[in-house]
Amino acid sequence: MPASPRNRLGDLERAVLEHLWAEGPSRPEGLTVRDVHDVVGVQRDLAYTTLMTVLDRMAKKGLVTRERDGRAWRYTAASTRDELTSETMHHALGELAGTERRSVLLHFLDESTPEELDELKAALAELEARAASGSAGGGSGGRRKAP
Amino acid sequence: MYILPLALLAVALSWPVPRLMAGFTSFRRAARAALVVWQSIAMAALLAALFTAPVAVPFIVRQQSRITEYLGLVALAGAISGLVLARLLVAAHRVGHNLRIHRKRHRELVDVLAAHGDPQLRVIEHPTPTAYCLPGLSRRVVLSQGTIDRLPADELEAVLAHERAHLAARHDLILEFFSVVYEAVPPFARSDAALREVHLLIEVLADRAAVREVGIVPTARAIVGMAGGPSPAGSIAMGGAASVARVRIGLLEPTRIWGLPVSAASALMYVFAAVLVAMPIMLLSMAFAGFLVT
Repeated sequence: MPASPRNRLGDLERAVLEHLWAEGPSRPEGLTVRDVHDVVGVQRDLAYTTLMTVLDRMAKKGLVTRERDGRAWRYTAASTRDELTSETMHHALGELAGTERRSVLLHFLDESTPEELDELKAALAELEARAASGSAGGGSGGRRKAP
Repeated sequence: MYILPLALLAVALSWPVPRLMAGFTSFRRAARAALVVWQSIAMAALLAALFTAPVAVPFIVRQQSRITEYLGLVALAGAISGLVLARLLVAAHRVGHNLRIHRKRHRELVDVLAAHGDPQLRVIEHPTPTAYCLPGLSRRVVLSQGTIDRLPADELEAVLAHERAHLAARHDLILEFFSVVYEAVPPFARSDAALREVHLLIEVLADRAAVREVGIVPTARAIVGMAGGPSPAGSIAMGGAASVARVRIGLLEPTRIWGLPVSAASALMYVFAAVLVAMPIMLLSMAFAGFLVT
């Protein structure tokens, strides 16, 4: 797949973060740019300075944290994969949803009453019945996977 | 003397009219036209408020001798226009700035966390079912693993078609416009009903795009499937999800409005929208036309 430069950068950041996650438990003190380059950079045939720039950008985004170690920086992932996942979900349901409530399909955030849910199911059943009795091309009748 | 009609128009369009309009739920069946009417109401209200002061100018110039008698009125008109413009600019800046910051941050998160073979699609490894899109230059459709696990393939296609329709039609820009107007007007005059209605209409348009792509039954099932989901711990709660879903299901197919076919009703609504926007413009040009002729 031909990737745009923007996408390639996203891929690279992801690879770097995956590497930091993988090495994190055995290297709690963090990895230097050299360490990351030796694996991620060499695999992808990238210059040392590219990795340096990427790690610097990621630190500014708050994805990684760094500490001075002599003349070099040591980088660690700012949060675990699970933490980042729930941060993303919370951001999606919170700030992002607050600023654009509608474009986010937040209908699963449910405070609905059982009556409302029953009415909803009845409306769906009615629509399915109409589609089945109407044109045969109304959909893939019958294949309902119960959640 | 066109100050008063313009001021009245601004007040009417920003307060009683949206409340009335929101009550006519049949309009929703012509979703696209209804959205245009809503936009024209907001636009006409803004224009009327902005034109109130310029319209005072010919009035002042012609009746210089008696300007002191109307000083209060003229000052009021100027204050209204100035205030509307200032609030509008501030709101536009704040809303746009916030949106872009949150979208950018979110895009960074999903890109680093949830890359996918499809450059526009992101899948978050999370059991809570959710689907949404990030509009803008580098657009993304984001699904959670919970959505993929919950929905069969054709319903998943419907969800994707729905989100892609939001992106393709730039529904985010329509919403941004309404959010700016909502923020710009003083809190007592804000119409929550109007904002809710616009949100609903945009969902309906995206739902119908999904119906065209994958059919009505999978789309309806997907809406229901996403509506009945569990609520994740510690998240914000938005009430009435099931009732919104039911309304959306009822609007998947075009039906007659007040006995008229949708196309005829839509045509009437477009005319109404055009008249609304034309009114403040006409009042402004009439004020200046009279001024230039005499």
